[in-house]
Amino acid sequence: MAKYMLRRLVELVITVFLIATATFFLLEAVPGDALSERADKLPVESRTALYERYGLDKSMMERYVLTMKRMCRGDFGESFVYAGQTVTGLIRDRLPVSARLGLQQMLLGVSVGLLLGILAATRRGTIVDYLVVGLSVLLISIPHLVFGLMLQKIFAGSLRWFPTIGWPSGSELWLGGWKYTVLPTLTGAFSYIASYARLMKTSLLDVINQDYVLTAESKGLSRAAVVRKHMLRNSFIPVMTQLPMSVAMCITGSFFIESIFSIPGIGQYFVTAVHNQDLAIVLGETVLLSILYVAVIFITDICYALVDPRISMPGVSK
Amino acid sequence: MNDVKNILEVKHLRVSFHTYAGEVKAVRDVSFSLQPGSALAIVGESGCGKSVTAKSVMGLVKKPQGEVKEGSEILYNGENILQYTPKQWQHYKGGECAIIFQDALAALNPTMRVGKQIMENLMGHKHMGRAEAQKEAVEMLRLVGIPEPEKRVRQYPHQFSGGMRQRVMIAIAFACDPKILICDEPTTALDVTIQGQILDIIKRLMKKNNTSVIMITHDLGVVANIAQEIAVMYSGIIVERGACRDVFYRPRHPYTWALLQSVPRLDLENKQVLASIPGTPPDLLNPPVGCPFSTRCQYCMPVCKNRMPENTDFGGGHSAACWLHHPMAPKVDMPDRKGDV
Amino acid sequence: MQTEKNAAAALSAEDFKVVGFTQEEANRIERPTISYWQDAWRRLKKNPIAMASLAVLAVLIVLAVIGPVIRGYDYVTMNVPEKNQGASAQYWWGTDALGRDLFSRVWVGARVSILVALVATVLKLVIGVLYGAAMAHFGGWVDDIMMRIIEVLNSLPHLLLTILVMMILGNNMFALLVALSMTAWCATARQVRGMIKQLKESEYVYAAEVLGASPMRIILKHYVPNMLGILILNASTAIPGFIFTEAGLSFLGIGLTAPDISLGVLISQGQATMDFYPSQLFFPCAVLCVIVMAFNLLGDGLRDALDPRLRQ
Repeated sequence: MAKYMLRRLVELVITVFLIATATFFLLEAVPGDALSERADKLPVESRTALYERYGLDKSMMERYVLTMKRMCRGDFGESFVYAGQTVTGLIRDRLPVSARLGLQQMLLGVSVGLLLGILAATRRGTIVDYLVVGLSVLLISIPHLVFGLMLQKIFAGSLRWFPTIGWPSGSELWLGGWKYTVLPTLTGAFSYIASYARLMKTSLLDVINQDYVLTAESKGLSRAAVVRKHMLRNSFIPVMTQLPMSVAMCITGSFFIESIFSIPGIGQYFVTAVHNQDLAIVLGETVLLSILYVAVIFITDICYALVDPRISMPGVSK
Repeated sequence: MNDVKNILEVKHLRVSFHTYAGEVKAVRDVSFSLQPGSALAIVGESGCGKSVTAKSVMGLVKKPQGEVKEGSEILYNGENILQYTPKQWQHYKGGECAIIFQDALAALNPTMRVGKQIMENLMGHKHMGRAEAQKEAVEMLRLVGIPEPEKRVRQYPHQFSGGMRQRVMIAIAFACDPKILICDEPTTALDVTIQGQILDIIKRLMKKNNTSVIMITHDLGVVANIAQEIAVMYSGIIVERGACRDVFYRPRHPYTWALLQSVPRLDLENKQVLASIPGTPPDLLNPPVGCPFSTRCQYCMPVCKNRMPENTDFGGGHSAACWLHHPMAPKVDMPDRKGDV
Repeated sequence: MQTEKNAAAALSAEDFKVVGFTQEEANRIERPTISYWQDAWRRLKKNPIAMASLAVLAVLIVLAVIGPVIRGYDYVTMNVPEKNQGASAQYWWGTDALGRDLFSRVWVGARVSILVALVATVLKLVIGVLYGAAMAHFGGWVDDIMMRIIEVLNSLPHLLLTILVMMILGNNMFALLVALSMTAWCATARQVRGMIKQLKESEYVYAAEVLGASPMRIILKHYVPNMLGILILNASTAIPGFIFTEAGLSFLGIGLTAPDISLGVLISQGQATMDFYPSQLFFPCAVLCVIVMAFNLLGDGLRDALDPRLRQ
């Protein structure tokens, strides 16, 4: 088990490295000079100094090596547009915001979704089933952004139940200021509810038709016991494989949600950076987000192997 | 005739399934009885309704698609189990009556240790504590002949071979000393040598606990090995039944006779044509009005197509449902097979 | 019971003459066999939701094609005096902030969005099939390397990569198509690779080879029909996804931007005036949702219809 984890960890690092490299060269292809806007306003000497500072006077390969070295030290670059703002600084300020939003969304969405899925599967063919399925289809078909806009318009704009934009900060950062968090959380959670409900329902139905459920019933176990002990665990397996995708959705969904609700999170800044052609930020955030994503996949893989004993990992003796 | 009280009596069992295409009448009026300590084999082609019959006795017919029709009776020790309350069902299933399936890999929970799956049964019916149940599970594995049971009890189903898995299923089934064991084609997926071993285990445990067995199979060799009585099913009805001896050596239904003929024999001459029964079984969505075997029977008569044949009793529990035994039918020689009478 | 007794009395000697059976009686299979595709189509037809979605989609596509010209308005030039009107007889869905007919604009936008999604899907399928087939065909270390590439690509949330590509290539249609299909082909390639590998080893292909079928015949008669099902499903989930993504990107200003028209662009324009003229936001949103929902439902129905395990 340990050998497996170690091997995966190494693969993780290599993958991140590859991503960083690929992103770097990709961004090299962006036309235009990112600094030109600032540089144009400066006298010549300052201009050269500026370019030097950002290393733009060096050749591509040199810059590449430099950037890679810096990343290993934890320095992910400095903004082209706003001097002094480093990626690491940004992350420090904005990560808690996005993290809270993401966590709330996933907690709410996944748990409600799973519950609904179980309901729909166990009461198949009844009105509960149709309601859940109908709801899921509806929710899946409405993109994040439309939903967010609608919620914002109706509940914040017209009804004035919640503030339109903003996010708690300072001491309220994690646990307080729930008013601000309600609408964004709901927006993100709904698509999770839909997809997990559907997933759980199909998975559970699949399991229901398996022979081992028949065996369990033939032992005289009550319906509840059969569901609890045999069906749930096996039906959770496909759910686990879905989780990394959900985290990815979380990350990318935040681009939209944070933009709509003006939430000072990582996603919103990424969008801004793209608009500003702030390549350093883009590079840094991309690498960081991929690290996050790859780490989540890694953890999920481990959990998956733990839950399903049929996964024989190399290095684990039978 | 029956001094010994039958432990199980099935009377006029009818089971249908409601599907997209209509109502599939899987079991159409089946009646048989089972004596304590003896084994009854139910034989027939795929799709003839034998599995469904077995599942009905276990109460595993799923509503609402599956429906055990009004008028059916399954009497266990005189009680109609079809009228059981859920609590009674829970006590009956696993405790009084157990079942083992054909595909042991699919029938065992892949993410649960084998020992736990046995313990479930024990703790549910014998009300054992955890430690006691664990010890008993190891004993059960030993009983069915699995080596190193202490180690194996903590393993998962996919870590066992096919024959071993089937033994595990038997261990689970026998854990609570059931009075009836239903075996739904348990050896079909195994090769012949393992087959013999599995049947031996079942026979041993049968004797030990005086358990009655219903063996569902399409393999006549298995029948000869383990069963005392046989019921031949075709298209949802029992066409012939009786003691194995009687049915094997004096078959009274054309289908039984054809079945026996089609068993490949080592002592036939070279180049003799392998006998098979031409044609296919009828569709259970629209079962024929008369005898279902009429389209494939060389003795078919107009009355066979129009009406369901009545049961003719030949004594000693041997009966067959065929118009050939009606007094008005012509005398037909269904030759007795070689062997003692 | 009564009728039986009466009937029994009516049994005659005629009834008991042995006639045996005929070969065709014995072999008559009661239920007609139908091919996989016929069965799938039949199942699809029986699914009311799927058929409804199909109908809705047909209507939508027709509208997307002729919608902009129905009213005959020029949806591009500004018409400031008429701006920000609500729905009326003249302007069915009102006008936008620059006085242009919203109805026409929405359908132009829908047309663009659907086209983008369709083309991107085709690209994704083509690339995916070629890549996957190559992997399955060559195997060995070629397969390994190609698989690694896919894994690296998959280690990024797709939207990120899409945005990066847009940054490089600019805010035009071509860039959008490239960006969208750039990450999407991975899933298709994987599926195709798995399918072909399975088929290569499968017994019925083996049987066909043993019976002397040529490689071409094997490809056409065995590989393609099996893959077609998967590809159709792939496409039906990809299209709404692409429509989504395009709308989202354009909304953020990273996809298409004004003066190009797409549903995403319209939505972002609508958001600007959301508080005062909500209809400008509502109509593009509604059309977007209906299109995506119809595709999703149809995809669901297709999945059920094409699933061989549910065959009847």
